Amino acid sequence: MAKKKLTRLGRYKIRGELGRGAMGIVYEAEDPALDRIVALKTILLADDAEGRKEYHQRFFQEAKAAGKLTHPNIITVHDFGEEGDLAYTAMELLKGVELRARMLKGEISTVEAVDIARQVADGLGYAHEHGVVHRDIKPSNIMILPRGQVKIMDFGIARVRVSDHKTSTGVVLGTPRYMSPEQVAGLPVDHRSDIFSVGIVLYEMLTRASLFGGADTPQILHNVSSVEPVPPSRVNREVPPMLDFIIARALKKDPAGRYQDAYELAADLRTCLAELGGRERAPAKDDDDQNVTKTVKLEVDTDKTRFAPAARAIGSDTRLPLSRQFDSAAALERLAAPGWRDRALIGRSARPVGFIRRIRSDPGPRLLFAAVLAAAMIGAAIAFA
Amino acid sequence: MTTTNAAPRFASVVFLKIQDFARRSVSEQTRLRAQLEAVVAVTTAELPIASRIVLEAADGIAVAVLGDPAGALRIAERSLAANSAGLPLCVGINHGAVQMAGGRADDGMIGDGIAVAASIADFSSPSRLLISRSFRDAIADSGPGQEAGMLAAGTFNDAGLRTHELFSPDAREPARRRRRFLALAVAAAIALPAAGVAVRVSAEGHQKVLDGIAGKFRQASARVEQYLRGLLDSVPWQKRN
Repeated sequence: MAKKKLTRLGRYKIRGELGRGAMGIVYEAEDPALDRIVALKTILLADDAEGRKEYHQRFFQEAKAAGKLTHPNIITVHDFGEEGDLAYTAMELLKGVELRARMLKGEISTVEAVDIARQVADGLGYAHEHGVVHRDIKPSNIMILPRGQVKIMDFGIARVRVSDHKTSTGVVLGTPRYMSPEQVAGLPVDHRSDIFSVGIVLYEMLTRASLFGGADTPQILHNVSSVEPVPPSRVNREVPPMLDFIIARALKKDPAGRYQDAYELAADLRTCLAELGGRERAPAKDDDDQNVTKTVKLEVDTDKTRFAPAARAIGSDTRLPLSRQFDSAAALERLAAPGWRDRALIGRSARPVGFIRRIRSDPGPRLLFAAVLAAAMIGAAIAFA
Repeated sequence: MTTTNAAPRFASVVFLKIQDFARRSVSEQTRLRAQLEAVVAVTTAELPIASRIVLEAADGIAVAVLGDPAGALRIAERSLAANSAGLPLCVGINHGAVQMAGGRADDGMIGDGIAVAASIADFSSPSRLLISRSFRDAIADSGPGQEAGMLAAGTFNDAGLRTHELFSPDAREPARRRRRFLALAVAAAIALPAAGVAVRVSAEGHQKVLDGIAGKFRQASARVEQYLRGLLDSVPWQKRN
């Protein structure tokens, strides 16, 4: 990063450092032309030509992608430029708290979680409508402002749909824990990948558990591709069943089974909010940034991952949870420790019905048997008496 | 996957699947789910609480009924009536092995009984109840003759390429079966004595047989007459003034 203290960048006067991201430093700066305080996100361009080109391209891609979007739930980009070894973007300065920090404090109510996810979905709906896929939705890229407004940040790996496909070169960008199965598999990614990521964020807000967490990246990627999440209401009993359905749909492994539109997800979350009985706004919290989730670059073999499990329909699991609406404890006890009578009833499979049992218990054959027997005796008597 | 029960237990599993559940809006999913839970609450009320385990599936509910296949069939048939109330159900029943998954009750249940019932429900169409061969055998075992109301409905291969023989209940089939047995009984009652007569005629010639029958008829008539006279004589008649 910058070795000497930076005081000016382009026309911007640096006032102080706000934080350090994965690829650069974010400053608080003043735009003297408009007398406006902005956040100045910088990136140190690499020394080697190839790396510089890639960084340069990504940085300006983000700026262009975000610059096209004007929405209350998306951070506003004012300007971008390049000076010396630094490229920069001037954007709206947000005074809020990252969702990741809020989640670490573990105090997000169900209503607030749904409201946050709803705003993120609204913002993404707008971005998708304008051809921009974020591809890195995660709690650290979501800012909560003091009045509860949510802003999506960091379109650092966002891709305008019409531009080139980086994944075709075998490079996948994103945060493993929040990636979609198709992203993990190195398949082409569209707006439904963002919907999957919102589903993960919502799940984690509701349950305070890491959904696809694992010991290392390969395990996380495996979990994303193959683990079917437990409904959140089973982890947190305050979660209403409607959210189970919303999350189940957002987290479908097959993109075709997911919400096809972020606005559709937002509409369902709005309905859910209405059913939950109103909205709660989160109080502002200080940001105690901890570097828990980072955007990483994964090298993948696109040929091998083309038919990854996540890309195919996942078969239904035969393991079914008990319904919470019905008390099955007595029957489970009976199943676990059957009495002597139960052993005959539930301890064996069905026996075939033999001739004697059939004649004894089945009225039809019994009538026929009696008739044949009686008629045969009469016939014999006539014939031989 | 760890399991707690070594010995397999068998149950009749009724799988109630809401048609096209995943394609519906979430508010509709919530409404249909609540409706299905109400239907299950009503239909399982007749069973003792120790006889049914209610399980949640992604797109429906499964009820494992212990030791009462007829009860499972009643639940399925009564649940299907909910179709008329706007709950599009596909129902599959199977009888097979079930067991608790993991060490805690919260871990749910697994087993072939559940898996096959789920795949049958998946194969079934709305308002239709499909039954596996093993459930038909179980119902026959619990009450021979009850399986007669289930007619063959074809076969299908599940995702694991297992072939399942399916049956479908037909309410009119038991009556038809009763009539068939009655007709056979009447035929036997006529044919076997007639065969006896035929044997006699072929052995003795028809004139002798007819004479013999006429003789026996006269003897029988005389005996009846004698009996009736004796009966009349024994009555203490009184004269009227």
